[in-house]
Amino acid sequence: MNAANIQVRKAPLKNRILKYKWFYVMFLPVLAFVIVFHYLPMFGVYFAFTKYNIIKAPVWVGLKNFKRLFSMPNFWRAFSNTLEISVTSLLLNTGMSVIISLMLNEIVSTRAKKVAQTIIYLPHFMSWVVTAAVFQMLFSPTTSGLLNQLLLKMGLIEESIYFLGNSQWWRLSYYIINIWHNTGWGTIIFMATLTGIDPGIYEAASIDGAGRWKKMWYITLPSLANTIITVLILNLAKVMNLFESVFVLQNNAVMDVSQVLQTYVYYQTFNSGGIPDYGYTTAIGLFRSLVGAALVLMCNYASKKVRGRGIM
Amino acid sequence: MENKTAMPVMNKKTFKFQLFSLLNGLGFALFCFLIIIPLWKVLVDSLDLASGYGMKVWPTNFGLAGYQSVFSNPTLLRPFFVSVITTVSGTLMGLTISTLGAYVLIQWDMPGRAFLGNILLFTMIFSGGMIPSYIVMKNLGLVNTLWVVILMPAINVYNLVLMRNFFEGIPASLFESATLDGCTPMQIFYKIVLPLSKAALASIGLMFAVSYWNDYTNYKLYITKEMLYNFQMKLRSIMMGSDLPSANGGATENTVQNAAVIVAILPFMILYPFLQKYFVKGINIGAVKE
Repeated sequence: MNAANIQVRKAPLKNRILKYKWFYVMFLPVLAFVIVFHYLPMFGVYFAFTKYNIIKAPVWVGLKNFKRLFSMPNFWRAFSNTLEISVTSLLLNTGMSVIISLMLNEIVSTRAKKVAQTIIYLPHFMSWVVTAAVFQMLFSPTTSGLLNQLLLKMGLIEESIYFLGNSQWWRLSYYIINIWHNTGWGTIIFMATLTGIDPGIYEAASIDGAGRWKKMWYITLPSLANTIITVLILNLAKVMNLFESVFVLQNNAVMDVSQVLQTYVYYQTFNSGGIPDYGYTTAIGLFRSLVGAALVLMCNYASKKVRGRGIM
Repeated sequence: MENKTAMPVMNKKTFKFQLFSLLNGLGFALFCFLIIIPLWKVLVDSLDLASGYGMKVWPTNFGLAGYQSVFSNPTLLRPFFVSVITTVSGTLMGLTISTLGAYVLIQWDMPGRAFLGNILLFTMIFSGGMIPSYIVMKNLGLVNTLWVVILMPAINVYNLVLMRNFFEGIPASLFESATLDGCTPMQIFYKIVLPLSKAALASIGLMFAVSYWNDYTNYKLYITKEMLYNFQMKLRSIMMGSDLPSANGGATENTVQNAAVIVAILPFMILYPFLQKYFVKGINIGAVKE
């Protein structure tokens, strides 16, 4: 703190720059990476205002791509799908993580706790390709599909359901798969908060006659409140990024409920059959980026209000 | 024995206590069971030559033919090595970029430090998107080379910030005395910062390694040559039914698919129990800074 006060009279800028010259050199590779992989693509949003198919030079068309875009029902459906799927799975995952953390916290034996944590973190390390493979087989309508066989045996269903190929079931399946993939890993941050609670508070509550339920309800859960809000804010900033998990689980039969903005861009560009219009798909991406940026800034603001520091 | 009156009360309490623990334990065991089942099923089916029918706890017709089909197939061995090569070189690249950037960002007195930090942070707010990235990579001639899948994920601002948070924990007095002893910034980096950050390097290195090994999106976007596919890409096409390796020694199609899934997760399954604490540490430093 003192140093900061004394440094009111700093050395001349030139001297300070010279002092740090090697640090600037060390930053060059980082700068090169950021420019090539982040900033050059940012300037590429220019294509959103052009007609461009890579073969011919881009032709300026102004806002035409956006006009076309906003008149497309497919685009609006992809937009609302993105929000619905992202937000629902965020709430479900966070809720499950909180419940599982509370349960984990009540396990007394440290050994059992360790084993349990090892198991529930596991799915997080599976790629989405592997996750999709596992659940395609598990939810499969054929005789090898464990879930269908189980439901048939129990007499709950009459005939096999193609869970991932049926618009009525796809979303639910997606949410369940997401819970499987993310819940365990999500508990880490809550467990860190829980271990930080002063045991004295629990002891005091015990002396006052509070049982385990009461302690959980009146001490543990409220102390998690701040962390829960933090997690929600952090992840809300990312809802527009949804791509890979949906991409590997969707198929033609369920496009109406599963098409999100990123997959829409992908299919329009790389799988449309004809010569892709890069200008048009860049415009979709730009719209997505802008909404995403607005969300990040809102979340950053909310985070500053709630916990005194931003998310970045 | 002396306070007989208190005994019944204690008993009741202990009973309630145990019931709670029991229910909680059972509930949790059920959750763990549900997490494990899908993976267990894949493992069982990969070892079962007659797989294809659900619900069994153990292979009924044990055999390794599924794995033989996977490993005897040259079109699967190649993607496996592509995965290994890109994971190793990408992780090294990612660690280099993250440590360099983080080291510069903890130089509080450096003119322009805040500006450099903001350049990085801005990429977390706004991105050009999928298509401009594709056009840029295409114009740079990086499409259909392994460079793009190695270099692109190496700049990960989130990991870089994590690394900076780690570095901030190193006492500034160490840097000062090293400077007085005549160490150059680069020497301080090698001799002080890196050796003191082994845990950070392990945690963040593992995060990089997992994302490189599991990478599918970047391959899907930038790689169309089958020669350059990684194992995830190959596994995807096996699951989609094309490209199924010819079944050896009586393994069914289903067995081979399951075996391929197991091979895709095997490296991390072997390492995971030993490295778990590093993964958790990385998350904790990033998430609960205060």
